[in-house]
Amino acid sequence: MQSTIEGAPAFAYINVDLEPGETVIAESDAMSSMAADLDMVAKFNGGFFGGLAKTFLGGESLFVNHFTNNTSSTRRVSLVQGTPGNTRQIDLNGNTFCLQPGAYIASTPEVNLGVKWAGFKSWFAKEGLFKLTVSGRGSVWYGAYGGLLEKEVDGEYIVDTSHLVAYEPQMQLKIQLAGGLFSSLAGGEGFVTRIEGKGKIIIQTRSISGLADWVNPRLW
Amino acid sequence: MQITINRNGENHGPYPLEQVREMLANGSMQPNDLAHYEGAADWVPLHQVPGVTGDVSPPVLKSTAPAPTATKESFTPTGEHEHEFRVECKPDFAYLTVQIPANQTLKVEASAMATMSTNMVMKTKMKGGLSRFLGGENLFINEFTAEGVPGEIGIAPGSPGDLEHCYLDGTKEIFLQSSAYVGSGMGVEVDSKWQGFKGFFSGEGLFLLRCTGHGDLWFNTYGAIIEIPVDGNYVVDTGHVVAFTGGLQYGVESVGGLKSLFLSGEGLVCRFSGQGKVWIQTRHPTAFAQWTFPFRPSKNN
Repeated sequence: MQSTIEGAPAFAYINVDLEPGETVIAESDAMSSMAADLDMVAKFNGGFFGGLAKTFLGGESLFVNHFTNNTSSTRRVSLVQGTPGNTRQIDLNGNTFCLQPGAYIASTPEVNLGVKWAGFKSWFAKEGLFKLTVSGRGSVWYGAYGGLLEKEVDGEYIVDTSHLVAYEPQMQLKIQLAGGLFSSLAGGEGFVTRIEGKGKIIIQTRSISGLADWVNPRLW
Repeated sequence: MQITINRNGENHGPYPLEQVREMLANGSMQPNDLAHYEGAADWVPLHQVPGVTGDVSPPVLKSTAPAPTATKESFTPTGEHEHEFRVECKPDFAYLTVQIPANQTLKVEASAMATMSTNMVMKTKMKGGLSRFLGGENLFINEFTAEGVPGEIGIAPGSPGDLEHCYLDGTKEIFLQSSAYVGSGMGVEVDSKWQGFKGFFSGEGLFLLRCTGHGDLWFNTYGAIIEIPVDGNYVVDTGHVVAFTGGLQYGVESVGGLKSLFLSGEGLVCRFSGQGKVWIQTRHPTAFAQWTFPFRPSKNN
């Protein structure tokens, strides 16, 4: 299996070349084009209850599509995210990664998707009660609106809640106000996420709330 | 994790995970050797032990996409500047990171902070009053201070587009279209009360901020940014004006008289004259709003 990410960073898409017998799993709606003789099967995203859990708790689709190459030569499928912005790939080797709801696009079959309790505070900050985890071995593609930047955190760091895309599982997340009560509400920053630990985080360089704040005063 | 290897009926180890990977790599162990690790119910082929191998089975995809460090454009400022900073993800989603020395402060447009060190303390200042409010710009500027030790702040403007830096040396004067403001050093005066007659009557998108003093000034655009040296006269659609240097005379007018104002779709333009620089953006914010407007979900009674 070979894959490339093209069109980055504004309108990134993923080309996956499947060898005979190989499968790639993608969120429903993610397929933009594919070879006509690839087999596509819609399945519950981790069983019926698992799928329901991921839909309502993890912000992912109820069904996922399995694209399998049952021909005797290489076939290509192109996968996209719904928003403008960049896409990245993580290669898992027995480790786990946490994704913010909605970031997941596709993965190889050996990757497990799960939902984990993220806490009431996370819900309070409009980030959902649960977080999506990916683990196992293989590749995962995820994306978000804006460019994607990787940051190494050692100690503590603050990220606006709408800009966090993914993080390593050992990172501790705490929700807090950006400043004092007045500043946080009047200053438009609201809640921020305080990240503690040593590891990688991925941030998006634009947010939909920022875009809305920019365009809304111009709509009348 | 400790792993015991069984080869031809003989136990070896236990070895730590790192050592097992090395021995696999140099061939002294085979992926199909039996292995037992802490917590495992039974012996399994070595390649099935979690974390032992990613390149034997199953194959991990090799992406030919450029490494993330290659896709992001970053630079340390080469010209005159007050703070160390870099701009990444140019030109589509330009993202500014500024290093702030201990106990110094940076002014940042409200809502634009995306990341920061934990020692940064935020204060909200009301800025500019009504004219700024009318300009479609947030009423507030936040001040971020690095308490005790140096800190950094990552700033993400609202609109998709590029970002530009200007250093004010005390003699320069920059006029900024108000929604283009991103941030500035404390030595920079951002005057929005000065607005005057032209600002008010210039139509949408030309509420100007007058920036003077010493220090860094950053502004952003919707679309790409083009810097145009002006010598003589130059005409820019009001919605495309981002910033210009103070030496330029400017006036707002319709392109070709009243008739054209309503029929040509060009609306109002800004005519610059003299010598200086104009920065323009390659997309018009109002055009974006008009393009999306019909697709907004409407409320029915």
